[in-house]
Amino acid sequence: MIPILLTALLGGVGAYLLLPHRLGKARPRAWRAAGGALAALAVLGFALALTPPPVSLATVFFYGFTLLAALGALLMVTSRNPVYSALWFAMVVLSTSGLFLLAGAQFLAAGTIIVYAGAIIVTFLFVIMLAQSEGNALYDRLARAPGRSALVAFAMIAGLVGAILGVSPGPAAPSDAADAPEPLPRMGAWLARVDEVRTPAPHRVVARSVSAQDRMLPEPSERAANGSPPPHMAGLGGTLYTDHLVSVEVAGAVLFVALVGAAAIATPRPPVRPDPARAAALR
Amino acid sequence: MPPPAHAAFDALSALPLLAAAPATSATADAFGFGMLTNYLLVGAVLMGLGMLGFLSRRNLIIMFLSAELMLQGTALTLVGFGRYHGNWTGIVLTIFILTIAACEAALALALVLVLFKRKSSLDVTLWQAIREEGLPPAREREEEAAPVEAVPGPETYPHLTPSGVEPPHPRQPWERRRD
Repeated sequence: MIPILLTALLGGVGAYLLLPHRLGKARPRAWRAAGGALAALAVLGFALALTPPPVSLATVFFYGFTLLAALGALLMVTSRNPVYSALWFAMVVLSTSGLFLLAGAQFLAAGTIIVYAGAIIVTFLFVIMLAQSEGNALYDRLARAPGRSALVAFAMIAGLVGAILGVSPGPAAPSDAADAPEPLPRMGAWLARVDEVRTPAPHRVVARSVSAQDRMLPEPSERAANGSPPPHMAGLGGTLYTDHLVSVEVAGAVLFVALVGAAAIATPRPPVRPDPARAAALR
Repeated sequence: MPPPAHAAFDALSALPLLAAAPATSATADAFGFGMLTNYLLVGAVLMGLGMLGFLSRRNLIIMFLSAELMLQGTALTLVGFGRYHGNWTGIVLTIFILTIAACEAALALALVLVLFKRKSSLDVTLWQAIREEGLPPAREREEEAAPVEAVPGPETYPHLTPSGVEPPHPRQPWERRRD
C-alpha cells in the first residue's frame, strides 16, 4: 500500500507542477523540469506495479504502449497549447489501439485508429484552429484549482490501483485451455435459447427470421475447412449481427440522429429579435 | 544474389529475446489474470488522468478531450475483461462506445462552435450562469492573472531558402487594375 501511495504522491506533485498555475504565473523552468521528472518517476513506478508477463516480443510492445499511453495522457492534460493536447491525445489513442491489438481485438484497434485518430482528432483540430487563431488564450494559461484537482485525481488513481491489485483470481478462474476466445455460439443453439423464452420481444422475432434466412446460406468456408472456430472478423460479425442485432440498429439510428442534430445546432441562424410592436403588446 | 528478405527475420529470431517466444508462445498467448490486472491498471490510470484534465482545465475543448480520455480507459478495461473471459462482449461493448463517442464528438463540437460564436471564447467559466440555482459563483480571478511576457524584438518567421532558378513570371499581375 505504501509504494502505491508514494507513487501517487509523486505523480500528483509532478502533475501539479506541470499544470498551468492558478493565476497563470509562469513557473521557473527548473520547477517544470522537476515536475516532469517526478511525473516520469511516477510513471516508472506505475510500470513496476504491472504484473510482468512472460518475456516475449509482445511484452516489450505491451510495456512500450503502456508507458506511451500514460505519458501521453499526462502531457495531454497539462499542455498549454490545445493543438498539442489534441496531438498527445492522438498518441494516447494510438497506444491504446496497440494495447487492443495485443489483447486480440484487431478490428477494434483498426476501428479506433480510423474513428478517433482519423476523424475525431481532425475535427478537434479544425475547431481549435477556427476558435483560436490568435495564439494562446488567457484561459489556457490558467487552471481551476490545480492542486485540489491533482489531489483528487491521484487519490482516485491510488484507490483504483490498490483495489485492482488487491483482487486475487477467484476459484473459477479460467485455465489456459479456456483462454482462447470461445467459438461463436452456433446459431441453432442460440435459436434454441431464444425459443425457451416465451416473451415475443421484437429482437427475438427478428432473430428468428434472420436465422431462417441463415439456414439457407451455405456454411462459411473458413469454418467448413476443418471445423475450427471462425476467424476474428467472422466471429465478431456473427456475434454483432445475431446477439446484438437490435443494438446495432439502435446505434445506427443514434448516429443518424446525432448527424441531424449536429447539422441543426451548428448551422448559423439569424438571431431572434422580437418584433418591437409585439414585444410592447406582450409587455 | 541478395539473400531473401526473410533471412533477416530468421537472423533476428535467433536473438535470445525472440528465441524465447516460440517456447513460451502457449503461455505468452494466454491472457491470464496478471494480464487482466495490467489492462485494468492502465485503464484506471487513463481514467484518473482524464478526470484530472476535466477538473482542472478551463478550455472547453480540452475538457472534452479529457472526457474522451476517460472513455479510452473504460474501453481498455472492457477489452481486457472480454479477452480474459474469452468472449466477444468486451469488444462489442467497446464498438458501441466508439459509436456513441463519435455521435458525442459531433454534437459537442457543434455546441462548442455555437458557444464560441456567442462569447468569442472557449472559457468554461464564462458559462457559470447556467449552473444549478443557488450555487455561489466560482471565483476565477482573471484580473489577478499574470500578464503574458511578450518576447522582445520584432516577430520573425522562418525563411525558406529559394531553390532552383526563379521562373520568368509577369510582374505582379494581381496589382493591375481591372477595367
